[in-house]
Amino acid sequence: MNPNEPLEFTGETVDAAVTAGLAKLGLQHSDLLTVEILEEPARGIFGIGARPAKVRLILRPQMPPPPQPQPTPPPKPKAENKAQPRPPKQQNEPKPSPKSGQKPPQQNSKKGQDFDFEDDDEFVIADDGNYEADTPGEDGEVGKEVLSELLRLMGIEHHITVKRAQANRDGENPPYLLDITGPDMSLLIGRRGETLSSLQYVTRLITSRKLQRRANIIVDAGAYKSKRSERLQQLAVRMADQAVETKRTVQLEPMPANERRIIHMTLRNRPDVETRSHGEGEARKVTIVPVLNK
Amino acid sequence: MAKELVEYIAQNLVNDPSQVHLKEKRTPSSIILELRVAKSDMGRVIGKQGRVANAIRSLLRVVSTKDDVRIILEID
Repeated sequence: MNPNEPLEFTGETVDAAVTAGLAKLGLQHSDLLTVEILEEPARGIFGIGARPAKVRLILRPQMPPPPQPQPTPPPKPKAENKAQPRPPKQQNEPKPSPKSGQKPPQQNSKKGQDFDFEDDDEFVIADDGNYEADTPGEDGEVGKEVLSELLRLMGIEHHITVKRAQANRDGENPPYLLDITGPDMSLLIGRRGETLSSLQYVTRLITSRKLQRRANIIVDAGAYKSKRSERLQQLAVRMADQAVETKRTVQLEPMPANERRIIHMTLRNRPDVETRSHGEGEARKVTIVPVLNK
Repeated sequence: MAKELVEYIAQNLVNDPSQVHLKEKRTPSSIILELRVAKSDMGRVIGKQGRVANAIRSLLRVVSTKDDVRIILEID
């Protein structure tokens, strides 16, 4: 499967495509998913121009609904489900949490270092050629150990490659890239890469505690992030050109923080456009505004 | 599997691993995990705005999908 399009499936009919997708994801029911029809199947003329149905399966962020007696199986998603709204982001933190800012003094002992990661990705990942196969340093080695243990406990068959990224911002220590490969990558990446973000977050937290300093690692799966990053950079340039040409603001689709950051970074040196983020949470998106010369 | 995963994460995030207790309740279709840690470690397993807890839940969703079982993580 192309890790770039982790949740897109094709089949002779929409139903066949969904079924294929479910099988691939190891799911029984389509009720865990939102189905987006990307392309309706076309028969073509004498087989010319025929194309298969293409669907995108979006894993719902929620847990499945509580088990209730279900006399009928969930209805097959129909083509009309196209406009099905995305489920709202889960607000599942009912427990009051002590502020991590208020740390009892005894926790400043050598063991009690806490590390926070503000953003999902502080680094723009450049194309694959920019990584050197390097002897993994401490971050890479400890990170790999932690990641491997997490994946083992999650029941994910995996292989992890450690590479050192080349510095892409002056004076910065390049991160270690831990790229996971295996059969379950689309499941591991999740909708809009959210599961992968969580996996990276937990891996960094644990690795940082083991190292007693901030772990300089990036977790990727099937090179999803580096490929996505490349595509986003191309998209940014294309949309910026369009904004300038039409003298109109171009609005991109909603993206997670790390992806918005790639757009901002890609265009920050262009004097003819400005980029801004608008909207809240899941709906936050980048707009590209042409700078008009007066 | 789910229990060991949460145990591993919690043990490695807290300052006092001896106070990590994880209870597992099973029904035919779901697993409820009740995590308890030392009071001073609560912030480490929950995180700012619940970020750590949500990340753990997100990883549990992978197990949940693979094993076709509902997994609920409660922290108290």
